[in-house]
Parts: sequence; structure tokens; C-alpha cells
Amino acid sequence: MNFKLNIITASLLLASAPVLSANFAVSQANTTQVDQQNYQCKRCEVNSGYRGNVSVAAGYIESDDVHVANAFGTDQDGFVATANADVQYQNSEGYQAKLNTHQLGYENSFAQMSAGKPGLFTVDADYQLITTYQSGDAQSNLYYDQGTLVNSTLPYAFELSQQREKIALQAEVQHDMYQGYVQFETEDKSGYTSSSVMNPSPVNIGLVVDSTTDSFTAGAILNGANWLTELSYFASQYDNNSQDLSFTYLDDVYAAAPDNEAHQISLSGQYQLDSTVMSGRFIVGRMIQDDDLISMSGNPIQNWDGEVDTTDATLKVSSMLSNRLRVGGSYDYSNRENNSSVFEFQQYTFNDLNDTFKENIATDIERSTYKLNAKYRISQGYRLQAGYDRKEIDRSYSAREETHDDTLWGKLSIRAIDNVVIDIKAEHSNRDGSAYQTDELTSSEENALMRKYYLANRTRNNVELSINHTPLSWLGVDISAHYAKDDYDDTVIGLTESEDYGVNLNLNATVSKHVSLYGFASQQWINSAQASSQSYSAADWYTDIEDEFINIGTGISYGGLMQDKLTLGADYLFSNSNSDTYITSTGTTPYGDYYSYNHSVNMYANYNLSNEMALKLTYRYERYYDTDDAQMSLDETTSVITLGELNHNYSAHQVMLNFSYLL
Amino acid sequence: MNAYKQLLFALSLVIYGCAFNAASTPWEQLDSEQLETTLIEKFAEGNYSPKGADSCLMCHKKNDKVMDIFKGVHGNVTNSNSPMAGLQCEACHGPLGNHNRGGKEPMIQFGQDSKLSTQTQNTVCQGCHNDAKQMAWHNSTHNLEDIACADCHVVHAATDPALEKLTVNDTCTNCHTREKADMNKRSSHPMKWDQMTCIDCHSPHGSMSESALNKPSINDTCYSCHAEKRGPVLWEHAPVTENCVTCHNPHGSVNESMLTHRAPQLCQQCHADDGHASRVVQQPGVDAFGGGKSCLNCHSQIHGSNHPAGSTLQR
Repeated sequence: MNFKLNIITASLLLASAPVLSANFAVSQANTTQVDQQNYQCKRCEVNSGYRGNVSVAAGYIESDDVHVANAFGTDQDGFVATANADVQYQNSEGYQAKLNTHQLGYENSFAQMSAGKPGLFTVDADYQLITTYQSGDAQSNLYYDQGTLVNSTLPYAFELSQQREKIALQAEVQHDMYQGYVQFETEDKSGYTSSSVMNPSPVNIGLVVDSTTDSFTAGAILNGANWLTELSYFASQYDNNSQDLSFTYLDDVYAAAPDNEAHQISLSGQYQLDSTVMSGRFIVGRMIQDDDLISMSGNPIQNWDGEVDTTDATLKVSSMLSNRLRVGGSYDYSNRENNSSVFEFQQYTFNDLNDTFKENIATDIERSTYKLNAKYRISQGYRLQAGYDRKEIDRSYSAREETHDDTLWGKLSIRAIDNVVIDIKAEHSNRDGSAYQTDELTSSEENALMRKYYLANRTRNNVELSINHTPLSWLGVDISAHYAKDDYDDTVIGLTESEDYGVNLNLNATVSKHVSLYGFASQQWINSAQASSQSYSAADWYTDIEDEFINIGTGISYGGLMQDKLTLGADYLFSNSNSDTYITSTGTTPYGDYYSYNHSVNMYANYNLSNEMALKLTYRYERYYDTDDAQMSLDETTSVITLGELNHNYSAHQVMLNFSYLL
Repeated sequence: MNAYKQLLFALSLVIYGCAFNAASTPWEQLDSEQLETTLIEKFAEGNYSPKGADSCLMCHKKNDKVMDIFKGVHGNVTNSNSPMAGLQCEACHGPLGNHNRGGKEPMIQFGQDSKLSTQTQNTVCQGCHNDAKQMAWHNSTHNLEDIACADCHVVHAATDPALEKLTVNDTCTNCHTREKADMNKRSSHPMKWDQMTCIDCHSPHGSMSESALNKPSINDTCYSCHAEKRGPVLWEHAPVTENCVTCHNPHGSVNESMLTHRAPQLCQQCHADDGHASRVVQQPGVDAFGGGKSCLNCHSQIHGSNHPAGSTLQR
């Protein structure tokens, strides 16, 4: 009892101790003795005029798989050329302009432009092209003709890739007390993505992607000595230019993603009272989708008035009660209220003959999150953090309408040993909720023992260890490890458990003024188990999934050669992703291969021709292999027509010579 | 063996030489609290140099790192908001006091070599950078974890790597090593080639949203690039509407499409409702249940369908 009292007394004394926190903000400076008239800054350097560098690069790419364009930035094969610039201009009055471009002419490139007077106003214009390549030889025997899928006798090959072309314009004005900004962004997305239609058995297709998303943001900020507030508006409009799909003999087999729009008005603010800081935000939003519905028998409406109203509110408080103790708390509320209209629509079952009418479901989701945390500096080298989080989710028309996650966590940071930082974190959380029931609206023939993993009771334990060691001023070693286990103890059918653990090792060494080295290695394992039932009762077959990931990298940079003109360097990266699945029914059967690996090598020599000009010769090598036993050739089976085997197995080379000029 | 010994000897010499060449400050002997107390006193006295930066550069001009301040915005004398247009070096490093008399009196120092608490270091930066982007800093994970502004930002440079599209991912993954590895998994967002950056989704200075996201929610963050999945749609898939990360890991996965598990296993973790959803798929590439797109061969509108007859997300 006495011991407990002592602890409480000590804590109270600490908590009530005068707050001693230094504030070295320039606004707090004692400038009574300063006479800036005497400042001449003769030794200062004024960088007016042009600065930066421009460069052109040309080279050769050898590749037989377009997938390598993800890494090389372009799908061009053979001779390639590109230009880069990083240029700044400033005049004597402080007006600035900047231009930063990367890989112009490539399918992955960007250009950023900015002009203005910092602290007064800026105008920005950004352009970006992002292209992602999945496969260069997907196959299909369906052609597009104005939204109609037309059968062909022979399959043709096409590229599964998507390109985003984004343009953003932004203007910002600043004053001591206020700030304002407007931003407009438009993104065109085009290409093909993998999808599937029923004909009546499934046929995989390359779905045409052709859409535009425009977004607009405007905001105003007001601030005072210890407060600031921001009012902003955000709008986004998605327009899909691709059409619903039909066959020549079967209408409307696939509905295109509908046009939609979203609006949000946000008011946020921060107030500081001594060593207590409060911040909060309130957002109201609306998502609207009233695109025309496919006109067909059994559809009672022309267009659906889909409308979701959202409300988000956040309040956060953080206070330094003493120079050793900080406490914080937050409350977060989010409500998604689906006000969309509800109608009965005619549905088709497997053979397209038996039909039923079904109402669409307008799901509401409401979330509340409470967080409390404290941080206490035990002594110079020991800090302890602890917290409690609670997340509550209410959802309508669900098998489980209410769930809550309670989490307790603690973290000890040890800095008592010179040049060593040790962090140990432990976390325990528990999910529970309302009674789990099979809901007629969500499923008519659910196995009563099924517990969907995102709704099921769950116990989660997680530990993390991190050690950062700088044994020498030029050498840093970081080691971290984690272990997390999820147990779904009340689940008979569904995901029953999963674990995720791994280790990371990083090493950085600046061996001399001219030589630096790095290396890292990490390995992660994710194992999970699930149970299923073919007999709609107790579990009668099981699946075990064992994922493993390895990532290794190393590199060296060796400069100062040839009278400080030459720098040589090399980087190597290896990654291996593997997933093994085991089915246990009458016996245990492993799935076929499902893995990928790649080796990336980058070697370069940078030679300074003069103080302004430099040449850089770069060689890059990409080896990539992936396989998936689920892939099948186009017509390997009659039950599904696929896009063919989309696995990769290639080596690619790139040699580039870059000439740069320093302005 | 001799060669091994020679190598070991050479290595020892390198280590020895470098260890003793390590830069150290004359006020190294002060502990954190003593240092802070001294600096508080100096700051209160306000004994600034009579000539501003010229006084500092008298000794520090030969240091390239020091002079690099003039390449960036913090050394811009023409910008009235820049420290160089005000108290100059002392705006950030505190009043000179008697530091120029032998260099033994401490100045405010930043970065990992500084013994000054991160909280105190950061007050210097926050004195000017207390704008809307920093509104959630005080409750942010980075603040609670004692991350100093100078741990990520470099002001004595022409460009700050934390603000450059091609280097910001490296800045983040210096500490976030698991996420660095995740970028290299079988499927991930195009982060490893810097086509996307960490700050496209996250705000390192904290935000009012979970995981310091830029947008109000996880789904809003995803919709900013995947607006076609925003809807609302006539027939929703409940876990999709609730949270994209129910099925996807946006940092990367050993499975295609950044799925936490692949179909049919992922689907069977929630669906055992009739004959075909709960059936055993003994091998993946044999039929429509496990081959090609597996469950998505038929239920292709897994993110929701706007087809009047699309309640089973098939059309």
C-alpha cells in the first residue's frame, strides 16, 4: 500500500512540476540589443540568375518483354533518348522560377514548373505520365466494336497496360495573417485492364480503360499568434468514356463503372495554450452517382439517384504536463450515410431462366475512434510510451452490425547506451461485437459457422524490436524484428489464424571521404490458416498459406578518382516473393508454383569534364521471373477462356550516356 | 592467412583513423540538460553579434556545408521570410554570445549529433513553420517518436531531399525499412521507381486522419487515384465499401493486385454460402474456380456493380 502511495505521490509531483520547455523560436528572441543596420553580409553569397543543371541522355535498351518498362521508364526498345532539367532562376528582388523535369519523352516522366516570390505568392504547373505494364502479350478472341464484343476465329495479342496523364495547376498567395490556394488537377487514364464477362461461361477480357478525373481544391487559412484555422473545399468528378459491354447475341453483359462526383467542405484548426495543443477538423461531404442505368426488363428506373452523405469530425489534444510527461488523446468520428434510393431489380441466376427480384442495399457505416496515450521520460536514457485505442464500427445490413477493437500498447525507448537506440513495442488488441448472425439481405444460404474475417472476434498480439547502433561515426547498423499473431478463436469456418514475422538488417558505412557503402537484407513470413466446409456444417477441409519474402540490396560509391574527376558506383537489388498453398481434404495437396524474383544491377561512372560539364555512363540490368500455376492458356479448359499465360521470364539491358551541364 | 591478417590490420587502421577523426564539439562534455540550460540563458540574454552572418562566416566560411545555406531558401537574403533576411545565422543557431571567443560556448545545433532534445530543436523550425501543413504535428507519431525536423530535412543545401520527388522515398525509407522492402514485393504501387511517393498518400507532419493520411479516410485516399471505385454503386460489396485494406495491402504483397491473399482463398475467408463458394479447389490452374482470375472469372465486378441485374457482382 505504501509503495503504491509513493508511486502515486511521485507521479503527482512530477505531473505538477513546473513545465520547463525551451522555445528558441525567432519570434521569442530577445532582440533589444540587435541593430540590423550594421548587418552587411559581405561574406554571404547571393544566388541571383540561373542555377541548376540541364542534361540529355541517349542510349540503348535491349529487351523482349514490355514489363521491363516499369523499371526502365519507357517501353521503347533499341535507341532511346531523354532530357532532364533542374533549373532555378532568381532575380535581385527575390522573384523565382523553377523547372524540374525527369525523363521527358518516356512513358514514365514528369515536369514541375513553379514561379513566384516565396512568402508572397507562387504559381505551380505539374505534368506527370505514369504507365504501368502488366503484360505485352495478353490474348483474346474478342474484338471491341462500339461497346460490342465481337468474336473472332483467331485470338490476337494485345498489351495489358494503363497510362495516367496528369496535369495540375496551383496558385497560392501568402500574407502574415492569411493564406489562400486553389488547385485544379485533371487525369486521363487509358489502356486495358484485365476483367471478365459471362458468355454464359466466363471469358476473360482486356477491359478498355478510358476515363477522366478532374479535381478542384480551394482553401483559405487564417492564423494568429497561437492559433490557425483552415477552410477548404474539395470536389472530384469522374467521367468514364468507355461503354457498357454487349455481345452481338447477348445484351449488356457488363456495366461500365458509372460517372460519379464527390464534394467535401472541411474546417480545421489548431489552438495552443501554453504547453497544450488542441487541433480539430470537421468535414461534411457528399458522393453522388446518378448515371443512366442499363435499360432492360426488370429495371424500374432510368437512372439511380445514388447519394452518400459523409460527416467526419476529429478532435486531438496533446499536453506537456511536465518536462517528463506528455499526455494526449483524440476522438475521431466518421459517418457514411447512404441515402441512395432503393428499388427492386430483376436478377438472373445461373441458367438465365430462373429470375428473382432483389432490392439494392444502402449500407450505412458509422465509426468512432478513441485514443489515449502518455509518454514519460523515466530518466535521461529511458522513455516509456503507453496508450489505449478503441475503434467502434456500426454497419447496417451486415452479418455483424457492431464491432469494436480495443488495443493496449506500450513502447520503451532506451538511449542509455552511447550510440545505441533500442525501441521495444508490444501491443495487444481484441475485437468483439454484437451477435453474429446470418442476414437474409447479405446471404441466403450462409454456413452458420462462417465468421467473415473482418467482422470476426479476433485477438491480436504484436511485438516489435528495433536497434539502431552507430558504433563509429562513419558506420551505422540498424536491426529490427517483428512478430504479430492474429487468432480468430470463435471462427470455425473462415480465417482461423494468421501470423506475420520478419527481420530487417541495414548497414551504412562512409568508409572515407570518397567511399561509401550500404547493404540491407530483410526476410518476412506470413502464414495463415483457414477452414471450410463442403457439407454446410463443421469444417471438412483446410487451407494453409505460407508466404515468404526476401529482399537484399547492396551498393558502393567510390569517388575522388582521377584528380577528383571520376566517381564509380554500383547497386544491386534482389527480391523474391513466394506463396505456398496447401489444401488438406482427404490428404494434403500443395498448389503449384506461385512466386516471382528479380535481380537489378545498376553500375555507373561519372566523369567531370570541367567544373560545369559531366558525363555519366550507366549500365542497368533487370532479370525478372514470375510464375503462377493459376495461369492457363487461352482455351486450356472449356469452363473459362483466359487471356493466356501472363507469366514473365526475361533479362533486359540498358546502357545510357548522360551529358549534363551545370548552369 | 598472412593476407587475412594484413587485411585485418588494414581494416583496423581504417577504423582507428576514422574513429579519431570523428568531429566533436567543444561542448561535448555538457549533458543534454546542462546544454539546454546554457542555451536558454544565452537566448534570454540576447547577446547577438554586431554584424550578423559576417561574424559567423569569419570562421565558418571555409566549411562548404555552412556555405551551402546560400544555395537554398533559408539563405535567401531577398526573401523577407527567410532567416537570412532577419537575424541571419543566429535566427536558427541562437545568439552568438561569447561563442566567437574560442568557440567553446555552445550554439543551437541540429540533427542526430545534437544533444539538444528534439522537442527543443524543433521549436526553432516551428517558430516560422507553424502553418496549416503542420497543424497536426503535435499529435503526430513523428512528434511522439521524437523525430527532429533535421532528421528528414536539410536546409544547408540547394535542394532538400525530403521535398524532391526523386528522393523523398529514400528519406522516408531510411527509417521505414519494412515499407522499403514492401516496395519490392511481387505487386506494389510503383514506389521503387519513384513514380509514386510516400507523401502522395501520407503526411509526414501528421494529419487528422488515421495513419497520417492526406485524405479524411483510407478509402478517400484510394479514391484519389481510383475514382472509378468511389461510387456509390447500385450493388455494393460490403467489405469493399467499408475499407479497401480489408483485402489489399497498399504497401505491397507477394500476391498479385496487392491482395492479402489470392482468390479463391481470400474469397473463401468470407464466403461459404453455397455449393460453389465452399468447394475445394485442389489445384489452381485446372478450371474456372481456380484458373485465370478464379472467383473473379464470374464475379468480375468485385468492387461493386451498377448493372440492374448485377447483385451477384457478375456483370
